[in-house]
Amino acid sequence: MSFAHLTDAQRDALREISNIGMGHAAGALSRLLGETILLKVPRVSVADLGQVPELLGGPEQEVVGVSLRMHGDAQGSMLLIFPCASALQLLESLLGPRSVEEDLDEMAASTLKEVGNILASAYLSTLGGMLRLSLLPSVPALARDMAGAVVDHILIDLGRAGDEALMLETEFHSRAGEGRLLKGHFFLLPDPDSIQTLLRGLGGVV
Amino acid sequence: MSERRRVGISELHVAHAPDTLVTYGLGSCLSITLYDPLIRCGGMAHTLLPAPRPGRGEARPGKFVATAVQGLLAELLALGARRERLQAKLVGGANMFENLLTPNGDLIGERNTETAREILGGLGIALVAEDVGGNYGRTAELVLNSGEVRVKSVRGPSKFLIL
Repeated sequence: MSFAHLTDAQRDALREISNIGMGHAAGALSRLLGETILLKVPRVSVADLGQVPELLGGPEQEVVGVSLRMHGDAQGSMLLIFPCASALQLLESLLGPRSVEEDLDEMAASTLKEVGNILASAYLSTLGGMLRLSLLPSVPALARDMAGAVVDHILIDLGRAGDEALMLETEFHSRAGEGRLLKGHFFLLPDPDSIQTLLRGLGGVV
Repeated sequence: MSERRRVGISELHVAHAPDTLVTYGLGSCLSITLYDPLIRCGGMAHTLLPAPRPGRGEARPGKFVATAVQGLLAELLALGARRERLQAKLVGGANMFENLLTPNGDLIGERNTETAREILGGLGIALVAEDVGGNYGRTAELVLNSGEVRVKSVRGPSKFLIL
């Protein structure tokens, strides 16, 4: 599958299903936090693998990343990225006031993984429903480090097949007041072999 | 004037003193540096994978450990470096996520490092230092004035290391 062959209509359709999927995911997060979560219009881009860390805010930017695989009829990688301040903000909302610790303790780590699981499950079940595909998230994994280091295992997987990645990205933030900005990015990077499956599914939608 | 040149993912670059080569945010990726202390020139690669699949032509030698070492060596020899003087250093090759394995079930960071050691050994290039493995990311800088490799991390046991 050459990415160059993605038509405008296919891009638009991917953007639209991603938007609906993230809408459901944001709804789930809103209920969890008791706060409104707002979404930006998703981006559908074909990026050179080397550019991906730039799209995450720069390779040295320290982030908290929850990494999951998409399993089922189509495979891919999903990544939920929070700037460190937002991850702490999220933990405060869910677990109550906490000290700004160097390391995420076990409770914090499993809470963030669970947030990743909830978002990914809502996103994939919506996508799967629209595309008539069975799509399921794997167990989440967590890392807090430089963005480049957090994302490079995905680039390594994609790099086995080529030099480009199809990336569905949505940025979200909470509406809470000043000093309480919660910001995150959600990414789906389908495996190259699975892009055709997703596009066939889209054929039934568009 | 000295220049700071950035080596992106899947890239390799060579340069002379007083320049510095730098690559950011290595996780499982491996940075390979080669340095000739006599003529003070060196090169750096930011590799993703051990080797291309058999039979596949690859346009980016910097993407794979195997082709990056060859590529760096060829470019440095062309600049007047000598193989017997070259000093290799490795940075990266971590395993960032506790329960994440490649489709083959192995740790890609370790495989990258192993491959680099084997290839350098096979070519008779001295591997003089490495800061590899663990579960944290690294940024690496090759200072061509001195041949030092400076390693920075935000999570590692030491935040700053000189190889």
